[in-house]
Amino acid sequence: MGTLHLPPEVEAVFREFRTCEFTTVNRQGQPLTWPTEPFYDALGGRLIVTSSIAFPVKAYNARRHPQVAVFFSDPTGAPLTEPPAVLVQGDAIVTELVDDPPWSYAMFKESILRQPRTRSFVSNPLARRLFTFQFQRLAIFVQPRRILVWPWGDMGRTPTELEVRYVE
Amino acid sequence: MWNERLIACARAYPSGVLTVVEDSGYPRSVRCVVEFDDARGLILFSAPSPDVLGQQGLACLLFHRHNADLGGQHELLVKGELREEAGVLIMRPGDFLTGSGRQDTDRMPVAGSPVDIIRFMMLGRRKARQYLAKRGKPWSPRPWGKMLRYLDEP
Repeated sequence: MGTLHLPPEVEAVFREFRTCEFTTVNRQGQPLTWPTEPFYDALGGRLIVTSSIAFPVKAYNARRHPQVAVFFSDPTGAPLTEPPAVLVQGDAIVTELVDDPPWSYAMFKESILRQPRTRSFVSNPLARRLFTFQFQRLAIFVQPRRILVWPWGDMGRTPTELEVRYVE
Repeated sequence: MWNERLIACARAYPSGVLTVVEDSGYPRSVRCVVEFDDARGLILFSAPSPDVLGQQGLACLLFHRHNADLGGQHELLVKGELREEAGVLIMRPGDFLTGSGRQDTDRMPVAGSPVDIIRFMMLGRRKARQYLAKRGKPWSPRPWGKMLRYLDEP
């Protein structure tokens, strides 16, 4: 697919927001939205969220109903001034995160940098053993199909739709 | 069912994220200010985003917060049905869900007491065993040495 061609303020949201509101749809057609830590795989032009194998409902939902949404509306902790809110509607592919691909190291590092207190936790073999399930994860790759942007996060306005365009 | 304790938690948030499913099958979310009608057990959106005006059907409403370093996590999800009544968008709640599974607080286990954390650990271990039993083979060990070294690389 290549990298996504994005305005810098939207790319900054993908890179810097600490949480997104990630929605899957269950068997009954009910949307379920939970706060989730997002990762932007710039080279792959996709967003990645993960889920512990202990709590795999969102991954199961995304497998059954691949149309999902990733909403960036809470900038808490992001070093950005008046960022836009961004909604990505996309198609999900779910896989077990077992082969430790290169991007998974970058994701791990980014997560620790965002939550500095967890450094001592992951460095402690006993903690890792007790909470092994936290490190056994399912990856949900979201390929954007539609991107809506609300400048300054102002939901009273009609959003601007970006053309989803990839650059090789 | 109206859950007074979780509604009290929800009142602490300045806004929530309302999500519906479009005809295309994709979910659509907007952030909204909400009001709670305790007498009728309804959630009202008196000034909804133009994006959700006219939307009806299954919906959910998420309230969540965290600190800048992702500590102090709280989350609460209301599942329900959205409809318009006398020109006002309303949600009739069905279930109230929290990230911890509790029905009296929206605090996540990692933001709670040591007892909360131990309960979470036991639940997670049990659920992971169920997943692995269904999978039929163990999960390969993570390369912790390599991962921890990577943290210190520039």
